[in-house]
Amino acid sequence: MNQSLPLWRRAGVDLRLVLMSVLLIAMGVVFHILSGGIFLSPENLYNIAQQTAVVGIVSTVMVLVIVARHIDLSVGSVMGFVGVLIAYLQYTSGWSWPTACLAGLAVALLVSIYQGWLTAVLGVPSFVVTLGGLMSFRGAAFLVADGKTQPVNDEFFQSLGGGYDGGIGVTATWVLTAVVVAILFARMLQKRRARQHHEMPTEAVWVDLLLTAVPAAVLVTFAWTMNHYQISSKTEAQGIPIPVLIWAAVAIVLSFIVHRTRFGRYVFAMGGNPDAAALVGIPVKRVTLMLFALLAVLVTIAAIVSIARLNAGTNSLGTGMELYVIAAAVIGGTALAGGSGSIFGSVLGALIMQSLDSGMLLLDVPIGKRMVIIGQVLIIAVVFDVLYRRKFGES
Amino acid sequence: MAAMIDKTKPLVELREIRKAFGGVHAVDGVSVNLYPGEVVALLGHNGAGKSTLMKMLAGAYPIDSGDTLIAGEKVHIRTPAEAQAQGIETIYQTLALADNLDSVSNLFLGREKMTRWNTLDDHFMEGAARKVFHRLNKNFTNIRVPVRRLSGGQRQVVAISRALYFNARILIMDEPCAALGPEETAMVGRLVKQLKDDGVGIFLITHDMPDVFGLSDRLAVMKNGRLVGTYRTADVTEDEVLGMIIAGKRPEGKTQAEHA
Repeated sequence: MNQSLPLWRRAGVDLRLVLMSVLLIAMGVVFHILSGGIFLSPENLYNIAQQTAVVGIVSTVMVLVIVARHIDLSVGSVMGFVGVLIAYLQYTSGWSWPTACLAGLAVALLVSIYQGWLTAVLGVPSFVVTLGGLMSFRGAAFLVADGKTQPVNDEFFQSLGGGYDGGIGVTATWVLTAVVVAILFARMLQKRRARQHHEMPTEAVWVDLLLTAVPAAVLVTFAWTMNHYQISSKTEAQGIPIPVLIWAAVAIVLSFIVHRTRFGRYVFAMGGNPDAAALVGIPVKRVTLMLFALLAVLVTIAAIVSIARLNAGTNSLGTGMELYVIAAAVIGGTALAGGSGSIFGSVLGALIMQSLDSGMLLLDVPIGKRMVIIGQVLIIAVVFDVLYRRKFGES
Repeated sequence: MAAMIDKTKPLVELREIRKAFGGVHAVDGVSVNLYPGEVVALLGHNGAGKSTLMKMLAGAYPIDSGDTLIAGEKVHIRTPAEAQAQGIETIYQTLALADNLDSVSNLFLGREKMTRWNTLDDHFMEGAARKVFHRLNKNFTNIRVPVRRLSGGQRQVVAISRALYFNARILIMDEPCAALGPEETAMVGRLVKQLKDDGVGIFLITHDMPDVFGLSDRLAVMKNGRLVGTYRTADVTEDEVLGMIIAGKRPEGKTQAEHA
């Protein structure tokens, strides 16, 4: 039975993710040509990468929320609320940035556990709870500082958002890239050895090598590009922007949670069949609460990156972000019906959304048309999802 | 091994169990015993209360009133995990599988084997799963695809393996053959006999008369949440059983059997 499967499926290659990567590259090339050679320039790619980070960070956990058959429409508002609070504590109350961030995290956890409790324990649909939250916490973001913009001035804090000093520099970029590439190959070898040790079939060496070499090559290309963007007033190139590093770390941690921990497996089981999950003894309520707590942590991280990038917290921070976050998850192959989705998919989804938006901006497409197009792209993504699942018998 | 098991002491004693949903008495003062190495068939119409009774034993519903004794000791089973800790395994009619996960994940769902670093030990679980699936069906090798892509028989193998792998001493089977072809039904029958020999006590919920007479030692009939009667399967005829199920009428001149 196993042998009759095509090679790419046996090797665990997700065809959908491959298609999306191709789409992303094609989009880049088309925009590059139309924009007269600007789109794929190091400067533009640097900006796209760091602009996508905030939406990307929240999208990774939104994947899990949707997989568990929930939704969170309040992420943009909660991020605004927490962001303004962190900025307010630093600027108006004079707190140091670490204490302000911890206070922000505590408030985000309270908000999330309140919403999670209503959803998990009382059984109120998360759509309703977080729709209320969308409104309430936008109001709370206004109340924190009476609607006044709160600047943040700490230089280290500002670098968390990218910007002028927000790259890690050339040397650090190359060292980090080399380490990650080495880890990728080491993991491949370790996996082969473990499978042989347990007498399970392994793929041919060239298949495994290719599956490791492609991501490694993408990584090296990215590092090279980031190392070729130099702000004219600086002596060194930027290197990988810090928000992108944070996003990458978040995506790796969440992938680990999905594949290697009980919690991750339970989230998928609950999404696949909630009744079965309860019958086999999964603590559904506790897992749901933990999921909302995880969401709070990532929304706080996104809020920090976001105010660091803007150098200020404003009460409109993150307005409408929930749509981008959910769209990135859905474009990345997360089924709104629950039970399936991937963290890496959300990374690609967020990049596709942001590239489309930035690309059209470069081409001077007016805001109205951009909104019309992005909305329709989201629908195309869902239609594709439905057709794909029908074709591969996954519904 | 089988000689060591004391077959005179009940494994499960359910006493005066009651359960109401809203104003409806789904289970109304039912008492049933189960002995080691015995199969007790639970019969009745849809809505007679047999599945509800078993869900209480499996920890899926809390009991309103009544006592549960396992091997002579009074226990309070409030969650499926507590039932599993008592050695109670359940094979639901719906199979209770997460369709999006593969067979290995489903086999260990809720009871994952962890490594030293508290991460999922996938290699161990895959190896163990291969062995237990192989025991039930030698042709079942595509164990790493989501179970929604499997046939009814393969899905059943996964559900049964959950009970087998974790060494059930009490097994609840809810319509185990409902979705199966003849070959797979025979496999379930062989398995039931093998588990009996190992001293496992089995509650079998079924509508299928050949299953009742082919597999069970005793049968208990429920109607409208109440127990009509418990008899040795060998003592009653199919017509008498149908009379109990449909009309709630006890067969004349037959003695009830509280013991195996």
